[in-house]
Amino acid sequence: MTKPDLRSVADEALDALLRQLPRQSQARPRPFFYGRVQARLVDAEASTARPLLPDWLRRPAFAALLGALVLSLSGDCAAGGAAATGPASYQAPHLPAR
Amino acid sequence: MDPAVAAEAELVAQLQQGSEAAFRTLVERYQDRIYRVVLSLLRSPEEAEDVAQEVFVEVHQTISRFRGEAGLSTWLYRLATSRALKNLRRARAKKRFAYFTSLLGFGNEVLHEAPTHAHPLALLEGQQQLGLLLEHIARLPDQQQVAFTLRHEQELSYEQIAAVLNTTVPAVESLLFRARKTLRTRLQPHFRHD
Repeated sequence: MTKPDLRSVADEALDALLRQLPRQSQARPRPFFYGRVQARLVDAEASTARPLLPDWLRRPAFAALLGALVLSLSGDCAAGGAAATGPASYQAPHLPAR
Repeated sequence: MDPAVAAEAELVAQLQQGSEAAFRTLVERYQDRIYRVVLSLLRSPEEAEDVAQEVFVEVHQTISRFRGEAGLSTWLYRLATSRALKNLRRARAKKRFAYFTSLLGFGNEVLHEAPTHAHPLALLEGQQQLGLLLEHIARLPDQQQVAFTLRHEQELSYEQIAAVLNTTVPAVESLLFRARKTLRTRLQPHFRHD
């Protein structure tokens, strides 16, 4: 067979297959679909009604960033505090008089 | 005014007033069409049911913003196809992630591929070629897959598909032409052996 012949054969075969598709897609959802949509709607409304935390804090990346910031700041304070109080015995070195 | 268009406008008005009966009417009128279009993209009855439910929940939550630029059924198809595509992309990303983690040797478990589902009716009837066709439709680029499915499984007109995809009729023709060409090329060897 020549190339155009092969193409027309393939076209016809494809058309025959495509004609079966609408008959194939007559599926329906399970019974009581509306009831399940209703239940889902109630769930969705309940979960959006009273968020415990602000929206940005419920994102893990922001929460982790906030945690890291708190930790790093508390570390700085401790180090700063230690430096400020310092050991009581520490004295500046005496320089020889000229 | 066309009585069907007037009835649809009335339904939308009732939905926007929060009518429970109108919402029930909407779900019962469109549930089969929405379920079928999602099923034809996802090929999994469980996922299709889940996504179809999400579509109606979204309709309930956002109907106040519906201004009627597109028809109600066009809007529903748009929500359904975009949600189904989002699910497909998530499943593909999960598959790729599972592949990489298995390459890097994280965990010793067998590659946890997301299950790929054959079309249930194709399985029932044991039609191998049809199964193959559906498999290749699923591998088309997103826009081509949606256009092809809406045209050949849901039998929407070119104008309706253009409205759902928010594009022009020539663009839909081009998508369908390219999809058909790809499918013919991929299926040709199987046709010749029969």
